[in-house]
Formats: sequence, structure tokens, C-alpha cells
Amino acid sequence: MKAISTWDLTKRYGNKTVVNNLNLEIEKGSIFGFLGKNGAGKSTFINMITGLTRPTSGSFEILGEEGNSLKKVRHRIGVLPDYSTFYETYTALDHLKYYSKILRLSLTTQELKDILKKVELEDAINLKTKNFSFGMKKKLGLAQALINKPDLLFLDEPTSGVDANSILNIHSLIREVSAQGTTIFLTSHNLDEVEKLCDDIAIMNKGIIQIKGNMQQLRKQYQDNISVYIKHESISETKQSKLRNDMGLFVKNVNIAADHSEFHIEDESAIPKINNYLVSENISVYRLEVEEPSLEEIFLNLGEKKHSA
Amino acid sequence: MFAITIKEFTSLFKSTRSIIIIIFLFGVTAGSAKLISQFETQLRDLGLGDNAFVGGLMILLFLAGPLFVTSISHSIVNKEIDSRTIRFLATKTSRDNIILGKFLGNILFWIICLITALLLIIPFSEAFYFSEFFQSIIFVSYFVGLTIFLSTIIGNPSLTMFLGITISIVLPILGIWGMFSENLIIKFISYLTPYFYYTHENTYYTYFVAIFTFMYLILSLIVFRRRDL
Repeated sequence: MKAISTWDLTKRYGNKTVVNNLNLEIEKGSIFGFLGKNGAGKSTFINMITGLTRPTSGSFEILGEEGNSLKKVRHRIGVLPDYSTFYETYTALDHLKYYSKILRLSLTTQELKDILKKVELEDAINLKTKNFSFGMKKKLGLAQALINKPDLLFLDEPTSGVDANSILNIHSLIREVSAQGTTIFLTSHNLDEVEKLCDDIAIMNKGIIQIKGNMQQLRKQYQDNISVYIKHESISETKQSKLRNDMGLFVKNVNIAADHSEFHIEDESAIPKINNYLVSENISVYRLEVEEPSLEEIFLNLGEKKHSA
Repeated sequence: MFAITIKEFTSLFKSTRSIIIIIFLFGVTAGSAKLISQFETQLRDLGLGDNAFVGGLMILLFLAGPLFVTSISHSIVNKEIDSRTIRFLATKTSRDNIILGKFLGNILFWIICLITALLLIIPFSEAFYFSEFFQSIIFVSYFVGLTIFLSTIIGNPSLTMFLGITISIVLPILGIWGMFSENLIIKFISYLTPYFYYTHENTYYTYFVAIFTFMYLILSLIVFRRRDL
């Protein structure tokens, strides 16, 4: 079952098309990563899906309900918008009390304090938000999104402006919430974060989804080559030269030194061939590392391809 | 909706501007009632009746009421849009609930203020003025509705403050001018102000003003439903 489905979803501001005929399906229970540069249309997409902005055209379904029936599912959704500000004279606890009343939740003060503790705001429970740092506001934004134990959680840049330790805590919180069955829709500029957390990823550019899939599919689709690094016993120059000639027959790019070699292959099937060859030549292998393209490389690769096109 | 109502209601009591207005309102009401009580016999001889005690409050409300309302509520909606705090509300409840909650919170504030002001008159008049209470609530609701409407269609809080103050000065002038003027345009505009209905001899006319409040509220709901937040 799909948590989110969109059909030709479009948003225009005057002549500018921010989201262009977007068709997307997100599986229930998954962590979906939405990537893209500033202005790619990520936040506008979230705003449309969560009812903050009206689509110019197209339609969508969210948790099985049509976009114009958001009322029915609002209590099952948590949203951390891209830019969060709070009532300056309210404390963190006041905010959660207020939002829980709006959602008609019967949470005790202790339960609300526990939510604040989860996002590491236990020392700021009674602090007015006018004294909050940007990172603390992000955490409070996350706390208010979790208050109703949502089935679908939208997190727009949840870790931007947050310190390194807190980022790790937020990551573990995202995993914890996901383990409870919540579908998470995450946008981020941090490619490493998306790669670590997300089951499925889409990269958006100028309102259009350029690629979509899980990491394995993206790697397969967008990898130019796989790098294989081998640390082996020290070999003579004659043997190095032989290796260079023989390997060149089935490996694209060979770089051989006395105690290590680097190969760039197009297909994983070349790895056992390399290994077998080294064994047949009686060269002892100490270490073999295969480097796959990271999301960052795919992202950059995508940009270069677009540029050269 | 009621959580929003309660928040609006309590936050109005916390602002310095509201406290000054409350003190002023109570001071003028009690002061004028005390003054009138000293001329009670003469007023009765003039046939001005019991409701003379509430005169100070009503005159203050008619002349300065619009200014009171707009000065404390001019940015009731657009301030939250501008600061983006509205995004947390709009993802948790319907937009209609936000507008209605804010409207009711403001009305509740004025109900409490006016009840208290009328209670202050009781020691002098020995009566509670129910009719004047309802009339003054309807009068205030006209401006609360208008303020919410302006705050919904105009995004800039500074602009709504300027516009609110201008309207609260211009409307009483146009309303009262329309009573004496033969100019059709002025006459027509005065029909759109509550002053025309409140200066009519038949007090039932005052209840027509509630239609304007309702209209402002409906327009605000329509505009707010379509706004990008």
C-alpha cells in the first residue's frame, strides 16, 4: 500500500513552474529521501502534500485519502516544515501543550516532557523559545511533529543547523520512529544522511524528478565504474609489467605499483577474474576493497551529465 | 478550534496595549457613571432614563471602539503567516478552525471586558444593562470581523496596522456624516458602517450589524482557504 501517490502534481507561481507534473509513489513504512539543490521544488512539494499550499494542477492521495480530504488524515500526519518559528513568549512545553490540545490528544505533562527529552530539549522545557538557538528550534519542530505518533512524518531538512551530536540523536530517533511503522518523507542537503537513512531516494531538479530508486538501483544506473583496490605482496617491475599487460585484457583502467594495485572495472564480474589471476600468478593478496559510488558521486555525476548534455 | 480560542483570549490579556485599553475602558465607564449619578435627578427630569449611566461606555465604544479593536487585533492572522507559526497550526487543524478560533477568542475578550465594565456601573445604576451589552458586543464584533478580514487579505502586518487605524478614524466620521448629509455616496457608505444602524431610533436595527460581521467572517474563510501558507 502506498503512503503517498501523486499524479501530475504541479505548482506554478506566475510563469515559474516550481513542481512540474510530478508523479510519485511512496511505499508505506519506508524512509523516503528527497534530494535536490535549493529551489529544486522539494519544500513546495511537501507544502502541497501537507495542505500548506494548493497545487496548480494534478492530484494526490495521502494515507489512502484524496488531497481534498486532508481533514480525515491530518491527525495521522506529523510535519516539520523547512523554516520553523515559534511563539516567542511560549516555552517548549507550552508549545507542545498547545499543539496537543489542537490535535485533541490527552497527553499528560510528563508524556510531553518525555517527547522533549527524546529530542534533547530536557534542559529547555521551561525556556521561552525567544531564547532558543536555531538548532533548538529545529528540535522543538521535530518534537511537535512527533506529538501525535504519526503514521506519516514529513521532515524538511531536520538536521540543518543542528550540532554533530544532535544529528546522530536525530538519526537514531528517525530509525526508531521508522521501526514503529511510520512512513518518513525526508528532504535533506546532507547526502550522507540520506544515504544512511533512506530506503528509497529521488533526486529532484527544477521541479522534475531526475532519478528515483533505492541506493542499489541508483548505483547500478549511474555508476561509471567500480574501483577495486588491492594490497598485495611486493612484486618486481617485470611482474608489474606482465600484470599490466594481462589485466588490460579484461579491466578498463589498471594502475599497478609494487605493493598495491587499483583497477577500474565496469562490471562486478571482473572482480573474481582479477582475484583468480593474482592467485594463478602466486601473488599473495592482503586486502581487497571495492569502492561503490556514493550518493554524492551519483548526485555530482547527474549534474555533470546534465551539463554535458 | 477551542484551543486556538483560549490562546487568543489569554494572549490578549497579556499585551500592554490591551491592558491600557482595559484600564481606560473601565476608568471612563466608572468615572462617567459616577458623574452621571451626581445629576441623577436632573437627568430623570430631562427624561433620559436609567440608561444614562451606561452613556459614557457607549460613547467611548462608538468613538474609540474601532481604534481599540484594530490596535490590538490588526495582525491577528497575517502576523502568524509572516512569522510562519501558522504552519504548525495549519498542519494540525483546518483553516476554518483557525479563523473561527481567532474570531471567538477576540469576541470572548470583549465579552469579558464589557461585562466587567457594565458590572462597574451597577453600584451607581443598581441595574445590569443587558440590551446595551448585546448591542456593544455586536458593534465590537463588526470591527473584529473587519480586522480579521483585512488581516487575511493583506500579508503585511504593518500595512494592516496603518489601514486599521485609518479605517477606525474614517468609519466613525463617515458614519456620523452620513446621518446629516444628503450626498448619496456618503449616505451609501454610511449604510456599510455600524453607525447608521446604531443612530437609528429603532434599536432593532443594531442587530442588522451582525450580518456584516458574518459576511466579513465568511469572506475571511474563503480567502484563507485559498492562501498559500
